[in-house]
Amino acid sequence: MGILKLENVAYRYKDAPKDKYVFKNINYEFEQGKMYAIKGKSGSGKTTLLSLITGLEKCTEGHVFYDGKDLKKMNLDKYRNTEIGIVFQSYNLLPRLTAIENVILSMDVSKVKVTNKKQKALELIKSVGLSEEHCNRRILKLSGGEQQRIAIARSLSYNPKIIIADEPTGNLDKDTEAEILGIFKHLAKDENKCIIIVTHSQNVCNEVDVIYELK
Amino acid sequence: MYILKNSLISIIRNKGRNILIGIIILVISCSATVTLAIRNTANKLVKNYEEAHDIIATISFNRQQLSNNFKGGEDARKENIEAFNNIEAITIDAVKKYGESDYLKDYYYVYATSLNSETLTKATDSFEYEVEDRQTTTSSSTTTEGGGNYGMGRPMQGEGGMHTITNNNTTTVITRSKEIFQSSRNLTGDFELDGYSSYDAMTNFVDGTYQISDGEMITDFSNLECVISSELASLNEISVGDTITLKNDNIEKTYDFTVKGIYKDNSNENDSINMYSPSANQIITGSSVIEKLVEDDSSLVTNVTPSFILKDEGVIEAFSSELKEKGLNEYYAVNTNLDQIESATKSIENVKTFATTFLIITLIIASIVLFVINMINIRERKYEIGVFRTIGVSKFKLTMQFVLEILIVSIICLSIGAVTGAFLSKPVGNSLLKSEIETSKNAEQEISNNFGRGDKMGPMEMNHNGMVNVTEIDSIDAVVDFTVIAQLLGIGIFLSLISSLASMISIQRFSPLTILKERS
Ligand SMILES: Nc1ncnc2c1ncn2[C@@H]1O[C@H](COP(=O)(O)OP(=O)(O)OP(=O)(O)O)[C@@H](O)[C@H]1O
Ligand SMILES: [Mg+2]
Repeated sequence: MGILKLENVAYRYKDAPKDKYVFKNINYEFEQGKMYAIKGKSGSGKTTLLSLITGLEKCTEGHVFYDGKDLKKMNLDKYRNTEIGIVFQSYNLLPRLTAIENVILSMDVSKVKVTNKKQKALELIKSVGLSEEHCNRRILKLSGGEQQRIAIARSLSYNPKIIIADEPTGNLDKDTEAEILGIFKHLAKDENKCIIIVTHSQNVCNEVDVIYELK
Repeated sequence: MYILKNSLISIIRNKGRNILIGIIILVISCSATVTLAIRNTANKLVKNYEEAHDIIATISFNRQQLSNNFKGGEDARKENIEAFNNIEAITIDAVKKYGESDYLKDYYYVYATSLNSETLTKATDSFEYEVEDRQTTTSSSTTTEGGGNYGMGRPMQGEGGMHTITNNNTTTVITRSKEIFQSSRNLTGDFELDGYSSYDAMTNFVDGTYQISDGEMITDFSNLECVISSELASLNEISVGDTITLKNDNIEKTYDFTVKGIYKDNSNENDSINMYSPSANQIITGSSVIEKLVEDDSSLVTNVTPSFILKDEGVIEAFSSELKEKGLNEYYAVNTNLDQIESATKSIENVKTFATTFLIITLIIASIVLFVINMINIRERKYEIGVFRTIGVSKFKLTMQFVLEILIVSIICLSIGAVTGAFLSKPVGNSLLKSEIETSKNAEQEISNNFGRGDKMGPMEMNHNGMVNVTEIDSIDAVVDFTVIAQLLGIGIFLSLISSLASMISIQRFSPLTILKERS
């Protein structure tokens, strides 16, 4: 049984005309231990779909189930800070904090039990290919690609079951992209996570188990 | 815990904004401390004044009531005066009875009468020549006397309406006299003798209308001691220590008074009409002296003016109905000096109102400025809110964090401001309340001087009126007390909430997704 299940999901922005849905009748199931790619043209509603899955937006019609429970009936704050890791298209890190502080903050919020948060954060940042030197820099002093990798490290920090990434490799070169994909693959295969990646990249599509296309 | 940590980091890393907010809160708390301290001092001054100035009830004619019962027209005049004379006068015994009341702290009275004198010249700018018409003939004899009219409501002869026609051996006396019917309450002797029951009763001296210019106030209220006016003293060339002789013509008895002091009447300094002040023939003595005079001659016309010192303003009604029960005639009304006391504290109240208005205006302006600063910052903060919300920080915790941030800044600046304000409140408060503080400070000294006692109060005790027991207020630095701190804290919390209002609204209203999209 899938960890995440979409049932007749439809979405329309509140200020859009009544019949103008971004998408309609989406039925799908995501399972643990697999990597998914969501493809689609720009403006096809990929980011929108992610926001429904992450509980940042509510479906206009239909339901999203996590582990059999309807998201509408769940504490979405807790859902976001423990069960699901999000890497946004625009990274969404706090510019006032340093790289490592951003990672530690997420651990604090999720109340994950880690003896040495700083140590753990450092390991995570190193695992996405950054050095100790990057850790103590403010976010705005990092490049786009570096910020993206910090965002990934942050999403891993509290060990969620699902990781959702919106174009995580959009700003990365081929080598780094491969490195990141390697991490995701390892998480799916060895740690039984469910990885959902929104992407345009053919490289990513080659690596994943399932490709879902939004039209 | 991480909420506090986030707040602290946010404060330190957003120096610009927080310094700006901090300066505003500093200015507010500083001026708030000053204004609150001034309000506090003003309250104390008012309280002081009210403690120093008792609420005093006096009895006077209820003129409204009188005129309701009086008739109009020429012919009614005699009838009216008769009716007036029939209203029972307030007696010394009644006053003593009224004074025995639970509603009173104390009471005092002026017991006045009048006497004549053969040795003293009355200070007056008009006097009547007495016409000698003591003529004895074979047929009739008439004696006309001038001066002392001491009877109650006695018709007296006036304007010498007497004609004597003499023919060789026989004398026909035709006496035409106009009757002047006058109030029996008038003291008709040349010299008004005011017997005070205590120093408190000497309100003219307390308020400085009269002032001892030579010698001092009487010390024994039952001895034949007196204080006379400077005018009477110079007219008769009397100095302190001399003896004056007054006479009750009714019983042909004389009394020798020792002059203890001479007083000056300051109330008539601007009088350009009269030669002497109305008080020129007023002789001050103790009330027991008058009681002695009345013992000697019960027909002596006297009047008594009591003052009742009430415990507080709440008992006014009760005391006045108690007097009615004890037999005070319906034609008398009980009055108090409450209005006077309230008008005296008005200037202090004005300073207080000014301070309060100033405080409110500062608070309003500051709130607006703080709100605007936060509005300007909200774009940046909105993004922050979005990030916090996506990583699963609840609205409540996020609100807490934002409020905490401002609260920390506020408390720090509030403390600095309060300390600065405490130092500033003294000079500012002193200059605003200068005259009031001075008044409060000098009251004691002045009264003492008015009684001719200089620095030392001597045997004089002015206990119940409390004039001497006024707590001095010569500095207001002590007024930044618990009340002020509590009020300041309230203001601080209020400002913090106002400051974080903008972000709080954002937290509640915007969905994180929209906020995050704005960024990209
Ligand atoms: N707040 C909004 N109100 C109305 N319409 C919106 C809003 N946000 C997005 N849309 C519309 O919804 C559609 C889906 O947008 P979405 O951001 O999901 O696209 P996307 O597939 O992620 O595109 P991209 O590949 O460029 O990131 C677009 O046509 C967009 O114009
Ligand atoms: Mg998108």
